[in-house]
Amino acid sequence: MIGTRRKPRRTGCDDIPVASFSDIAFLLIIFFILATTLVQTQGFHTEFPRGEKSDKPPTKTTTVQLHKGTITLNDAQVDLARLKAALAKLKLHTRTGDDKVVILEATGRVGYQRYFEVMAAITRAGGTICIVREEEEGP
Amino acid sequence: MTRRRRRRRAIIVPVVSMGDIAFLLIIFFILCSNIAREAGIPVTPPLSADLEQVDESTLVVAIDGGGQLYFQGRKVHTAESLEAELTTHLRDATSDKRRRVLFRCDQAVDRSVFEPAMDAITRAGGIVVAVGAKSTPTRK
Repeated sequence: MIGTRRKPRRTGCDDIPVASFSDIAFLLIIFFILATTLVQTQGFHTEFPRGEKSDKPPTKTTTVQLHKGTITLNDAQVDLARLKAALAKLKLHTRTGDDKVVILEATGRVGYQRYFEVMAAITRAGGTICIVREEEEGP
Repeated sequence: MTRRRRRRRAIIVPVVSMGDIAFLLIIFFILCSNIAREAGIPVTPPLSADLEQVDESTLVVAIDGGGQLYFQGRKVHTAESLEAELTTHLRDATSDKRRRVLFRCDQAVDRSVFEPAMDAITRAGGIVVAVGAKSTPTRK
């Protein structure tokens, strides 16, 4: 029996075109680079205690009051540096429960910058912020 | 004098693996990225020296310079509706990590705007993660 050679079938194209794959991939990379936030978020965590409406003023608690940019700690006017020093002296880190609570009360027009600085200082000192909201009629 | 011409070899740059590298980079970015939900909301963050790095959260409340409230990049008109939306989102949140709500507020906003928003987060059961920018402490 004489062996016959078969001619290999010719196909139109042997290779899958992959040259454009890298272009697509790099376009996707550019999209992700633009959509990604590379900056680490900075801030502080604070869980405010859920309170109820009350007319009674709280007693024996550290109170920070904000009024039109001025800071008052337990009825004594302080600046931010003094507030931090006073809060550090209280050693709020070592306290537990209600003893950690620092009441933050704002009256009049107070911008978020001032409020944020004070909240950050209290949180840094280890205190639990309790916000007292006054229901005012006007500024 | 006769010079022999050197035969030039055709240089072939192997580009087949470029696609693989690119796709690996894409997978890296997909896994590492947090899609900015609050992109396009003009917020000037407040400054403080007492900040630390905080983890990103999936829930974001923002207030722009004009006092407009946003939740997940969408406008919210009142603190009450913010509280209702947050309550729905936080219903199944059991761990503290899942209760975190990023609070981005413009430094110029008045307390009559941000206090009700923070109150709404608290009432809905969220933990406020106040976001700002770190400022260098001033030396006297």
